[in-house]
Amino acid sequence: MIVCIAVVGHQNNPLYIQSFTEADDALKLHHIVHCSLDVVDERVNNPKKSGPMLNETFLGLLYPTENYKVYGYLTNTKVKFILVTTDLDVRDADVRNFFRRFHSAYLDAVSNPFHVPGKKITSKTFAERVTNIVKSVSFHTTG
Amino acid sequence: MAPAVPRSGDAIFANVERVNAELFTLTYGAIVRQLLTDLEEVEEVNKQLDQMGYNIGIRLIDEFLAKSNVTRCVDFRETAEVIAKVGFKMFLGVTASVSNWDTEGTCCSLILEDNPLVDFVELPDTCQGLYYCNILSGVVRGALEMVSMKTEVTWVRDMLRGDDAFELQVKLLKQVPEEYPYKDDE
Amino acid sequence: MAREVSESCMDSLLTEIVSSYCNVLYATKPELAARRIEAIGYQVGHQLSERYTMERPRFSDHLEAIKFICKDFWSELFKKQIDNLKTNHRGTFVLQDDKFAWLSRMSGEPSTETRGSAPEAGNKAAETTGMHLYFPCGIIRGALSNLGIPCAVSADISNLPACSFVIRIKV
Repeated sequence: MIVCIAVVGHQNNPLYIQSFTEADDALKLHHIVHCSLDVVDERVNNPKKSGPMLNETFLGLLYPTENYKVYGYLTNTKVKFILVTTDLDVRDADVRNFFRRFHSAYLDAVSNPFHVPGKKITSKTFAERVTNIVKSVSFHTTG
Repeated sequence: MAPAVPRSGDAIFANVERVNAELFTLTYGAIVRQLLTDLEEVEEVNKQLDQMGYNIGIRLIDEFLAKSNVTRCVDFRETAEVIAKVGFKMFLGVTASVSNWDTEGTCCSLILEDNPLVDFVELPDTCQGLYYCNILSGVVRGALEMVSMKTEVTWVRDMLRGDDAFELQVKLLKQVPEEYPYKDDE
Repeated sequence: MAREVSESCMDSLLTEIVSSYCNVLYATKPELAARRIEAIGYQVGHQLSERYTMERPRFSDHLEAIKFICKDFWSELFKKQIDNLKTNHRGTFVLQDDKFAWLSRMSGEPSTETRGSAPEAGNKAAETTGMHLYFPCGIIRGALSNLGIPCAVSADISNLPACSFVIRIKV
């Protein structure tokens, strides 16, 4: 189950964060997102660690914690998407698919002429779309 | 008389040079944003958009008449239909519909459900009173003036304000019967 | 298929941006008008670069980003690529379009505004052409800025009918 999705700007400024869990977990999730940013920076700035995947937008599993898996995605415009899920048996392809759909929704949100780049995304449409994407995605491998 | 058969909006649109709507949509959005910054008052922005639309309308009519083979419409009813089906289509790539005619046939509504100007747009609360698509009202007014129809164009419904369609009311104020499609001395 | 509109819609908008800002809003301050026109372009470029880089891996260096502008980006906007790219390898790039769409149509456009009599029209035409170019300069600057490359962009029409865009990357 996806518990948190976040968008972070190129100066590590938070642009959007949505949790799909109880309120008191939210703080913990924000912390996880925050920690993951360092991992992203390290991954991207250290070619040796990434190898041939250096310039790919999908960064893969950033780090597992006891209860969560954290995935990252970095756009060409240096915007980071961080996904936190409690599913432990996750296929890369499914996560990629999620990020692709999420990226599409993000694009439309920042194409709003009234959106201010660098500022938080306040679009209700975006929030709804994200909720729908999260609901429609299942990382459980069947069988 | 044997007039040439008027071409359909689809046919014309298929044959004109076209560009990515995104470029157009985002450019229009950036214009509205910049106008809001420069003019500050929403009402001033509405006026400026209308004026820009008017300037565009008086020029686009030439292209419209040239490409559509529309024989001169003497009748406001016919004109409205042609704007909706051919005009909107050949420029914006979408068709509008006409309805809400009054009994005299001098007032109707142009209704647009699909509007490239507003793709991705979400109006913030600080823009109450803004008619985001006001350029369209100017375009319609300007184009009609060039075919000797003086009109008053107002918004009745606006999807950015929560309505289910864009509805432009077009009211014919004065029509001067003319031999040529547009005046030469103006 | 991606949504399209007629080219005349885009041309009309561009003409009106220049007309509004140069003749109405900042009629006595062409410098300010130019900055506003550029700013409008900047927002557009910023948003378009986000969209047109979605499906692709990140650029490893400035040159890759500039090549993207020359090829994919320019193609999305003008259905053709930049014809010639030059660089001094010290942060300056010159992008030459031999038949820049907005230049060839704009400068030929007779004005329907009642401003300036015939003798002044020549000067006005040159001024207006220059003003139009602030928009694409802004687009390029906005696009590169969003890709993490702050720069200054200017247009050079000393070699008509070609139009060159000079990008100076800020260190």
